[in-house]
Amino acid sequence: MRRTALLPVLLVVASGVTLVLAQRPFRQFMEEEDNPAAFPADGNEKTEFVFGRLRYRSWRGSRYMAGYGSWSTDYPKADRQFLQGVRRLTRIQARSSEQVVGMDDPDDIYNWPWLYAVEVGRWDLSDKDAAKLRDYLLRGGFLMVDDFHGTLEWSIFAEGMQKVFPDRPIVELENKDQIFHTLYDLDERFQVPGIQYWYSGSIYERDGVEARWRGIYDDHGRIMVAICHNMDLGDAWEWADHPRYPEHYASLAYRVAINYIIYSMSH
Amino acid sequence: MFELLFNHPRVVFSKGEFVLLGGWAPWLLPATMAILAGALGFILWRRRTRAEARIRGWRLAGIWGLESALIALLLALLWQPAVRVSALKPQQNVVAVVVDDSASMTIADEGRPRRDTARALLEKGMLDALRRKFQVRLYRMSDKLERIENPDQLTAAGTSTRIGDSLKQAVAESASLPIGAIVLISDGADNSGGVDPETISEIRSRRIPVHTIGLGKERPGRDIEITDAVMSAKALPDSRLRAQVTLTQRGYDKQKARLNVREGNRILASREITLQGGDTQQTESLLFNAGVAGAKLFRVSVEPLQAEENQLNNAVSRMVQVTGSKPRILYLEGEPRWEFKFIRRAAQEDRTVKLVTMMRTTQNKIYRQDVENAKELEQGFPASVDELFRYQAVILGSVELGYFTPAQQELLRNFVDRRGGGLLWLGARAALSDGGWAGSTMSELMPTILPTAKNTFQREAATAELTPAGRESLICRLVEDPEQNAARWRKLPYMGSYQDVGSPKPGAVVLADMLVQNRGRLPLLITQNYGRGRTAIFATGGSWRWQMLQELKDQTHEMFWQQLLRWLVAETPGRIVASTPRPVLSDEGRVVLHAEVRDPNYLPMADARVEARIMGPAGIAATVEMDPDTNNPGSFTATWTAEKPGSYIAEIQARRGEEEPMRDVVTFQREDGVAEHFGTGLNRDLLAKLSEQTGGRYWRAADTGKLPEEISYSEAGITIRETKELWNMPVVFLLALALRSSEWLLRRKWGAV
Repeated sequence: MRRTALLPVLLVVASGVTLVLAQRPFRQFMEEEDNPAAFPADGNEKTEFVFGRLRYRSWRGSRYMAGYGSWSTDYPKADRQFLQGVRRLTRIQARSSEQVVGMDDPDDIYNWPWLYAVEVGRWDLSDKDAAKLRDYLLRGGFLMVDDFHGTLEWSIFAEGMQKVFPDRPIVELENKDQIFHTLYDLDERFQVPGIQYWYSGSIYERDGVEARWRGIYDDHGRIMVAICHNMDLGDAWEWADHPRYPEHYASLAYRVAINYIIYSMSH
Repeated sequence: MFELLFNHPRVVFSKGEFVLLGGWAPWLLPATMAILAGALGFILWRRRTRAEARIRGWRLAGIWGLESALIALLLALLWQPAVRVSALKPQQNVVAVVVDDSASMTIADEGRPRRDTARALLEKGMLDALRRKFQVRLYRMSDKLERIENPDQLTAAGTSTRIGDSLKQAVAESASLPIGAIVLISDGADNSGGVDPETISEIRSRRIPVHTIGLGKERPGRDIEITDAVMSAKALPDSRLRAQVTLTQRGYDKQKARLNVREGNRILASREITLQGGDTQQTESLLFNAGVAGAKLFRVSVEPLQAEENQLNNAVSRMVQVTGSKPRILYLEGEPRWEFKFIRRAAQEDRTVKLVTMMRTTQNKIYRQDVENAKELEQGFPASVDELFRYQAVILGSVELGYFTPAQQELLRNFVDRRGGGLLWLGARAALSDGGWAGSTMSELMPTILPTAKNTFQREAATAELTPAGRESLICRLVEDPEQNAARWRKLPYMGSYQDVGSPKPGAVVLADMLVQNRGRLPLLITQNYGRGRTAIFATGGSWRWQMLQELKDQTHEMFWQQLLRWLVAETPGRIVASTPRPVLSDEGRVVLHAEVRDPNYLPMADARVEARIMGPAGIAATVEMDPDTNNPGSFTATWTAEKPGSYIAEIQARRGEEEPMRDVVTFQREDGVAEHFGTGLNRDLLAKLSEQTGGRYWRAADTGKLPEEISYSEAGITIRETKELWNMPVVFLLALALRSSEWLLRRKWGAV
């Protein structure tokens, strides 16, 4: 679920210097939190896997001047709740807290080979951002995008991706692709609705009637960008602990993202 | 002078036996000497008080010494000393004169070709002098021995020099003749590795002295020579090869020269070197790409310098078999890790090796990648020889020892020790000491003594730095120039983790260190050989940052991992390994083929039937049965002669019963007109040693006047015993006179005369 963040960016750097460190420390954006959650006791642990959440500049009507907002949708509860599942269900040594990775930070993005970006139907990538993202992905980074719906948001997302990869098509992922089989065999997938499902009873938003599992491949046939269009896996993680949110949606959301993470760590 | 003083040549004394011809017992001589010296001493002692004061004390003792010596000399003459020596009967013995007729005799390093010097030596006196005493047989020698009638038949056209074989042939040809001696005229530039002990032994058994006459200068004036170029006989496609080139030079101290490696006309690598001063051998390395699969002939050369006397010794060829097979590496990762992903990506860009991976995603699930079929690794990590030995190397990531059964641990040991595979451990939170490997039976395989403490894996920053051994290693070569390469390593981005792997074992090689804040220097990359295989530790899980934190075009990460993976598998043998000690035959055809044959368990297979099918230029084809080596089970050898120059390929096939035959290929090349241009200086050591070992003498060409006479005193052939009396030697009378005169002079000096 999206919540608004009215204040401009307030970047709080956690303890320690940031230059020569094996793992950049946790960064908290308290003012921009969409759904606050308790900071885990081991949230500063140095681990193999860290859930990177991309902090990008977005279109948000009047808040455009502020420049940020939609990146933090469901943040940080969705991230932390999902990470509990990753830690419990896999052998991935994952940090219990997310890491906010700013597009505006010159080189920080390269420290985090896994990135999750939400509401990318509202992102506004500059040419510089696009070039950096392209470089990141081609070096071996992985981007999962989620929670954008319908034709309009798709077109905004696609416009951004066109800047990133003018020469690479966005393609439908086939069931046989390894990304659906790294841990769970996910041949049977269905649309995962956001929290609006409680109120509307609809599993889709806007004209995004059909869930689309798409991606962008590199020259070696490896997926660099995994695109979850017309679904809201982030909400499913966020509300997985709520009795009103259907388990089978949350379950699929967890399994899809875990598969994606393992794929990103093996391809 | 010697002969003037002693009446006989020196050889009479060196080869003869000293005897006393007088009728009295020899022991009486020293006894009489002692008695007379004692009596003289007694007399002088009794008269000491009456002696003049000037010759008392030590002066008197001096007088006694001189007089005693004179008495001893006269007594010795009474016993009739003589020398008995064997001498060849005139005209009843044969002397074989063997003259080097190889191409190196055309070298004019002393004003004229060595061949002409030899001709002049023979024609202007030596042959006549010899013929006056002996029957002379003249031979020319190169790769074979040939009898000739006169020195005009020397052409210096032979393509190689085989002194040992030639001498053996000369001895064999004259087995029924009374050979008195062999005279060898040569520059000693032998191409067969010297004279073998068997030949020496045969010559000695017949007591034939070999007199050698050396021609040419020991050192050329201005020359560069490549004395050797060492490179692997087999390589993987596109792998980096090192040519270790040894060269010597004269006359070009501290000058620059250019070293090249060519395949055909294409230069694969080129480097400028500075020639070292003095007579020392200089070794230089040149790295180049092995290229695609196939038999390759690489030519290593140094470009000629101005006024170089011999430019034909500036290049050598080496044969390398670039194998077409794609070795498979099994990589077991205990948990999803970024290192796993980026190692896989580096390997995917390498056509040379195939990485098969299994990653434990959950406690009970393994994600397999790049398996050949659904069955491969279906049951987890291999538990049998058939399953594991199909790989050439194994990589273990974040895997604790307890994951393997004791049988699998033993299998891993045999994989390295017996099968000859490579085994690499990576630093990780469940690896090495933190995974319980320290102190286990498996720790024997490791190149370090692991710490027994836990928490050796830390997610802290560490930077890499090459050690001196790492600077020379092909694994670590990111940039061609060694200095720039070392600097490149220092500039690599930090690694996000390090693991303390303890101290290197004796015999292990640390190629790179890690610099860790508050910990100092720790080993990063350590390698060692174990049994037939090799093991290594890469003590970090953070090299993936070399990929993510450097520019997209940077290939550091890929290159390092590809080179490390190739090192892991490059020397892993198959069940049959064919080889030849000399893949390039310079002016000779004799090739030795070896094969090591193992059964499916990689134990020596002594009961195999092994044959070599050889194909060569102009349709040459032959099948040679290879003989088992009784002292070395599983080893087979065959010797064959390549008659024509060109490239040869030998397919070695081993079979046992109905089992599928095993095959391996070895290639070799015969080059003619090459050998004689190398090592062309006078090899005085070889000639002098040959003479010394056979009872002959080394002669300089200018001093051979006494050679016929010296040959006369030989124990070979038909001899007579001659007795040479010594009493009439001028030196005896001179000595007597000297003793007497000395006494007189001393007395005069002391004022007693």
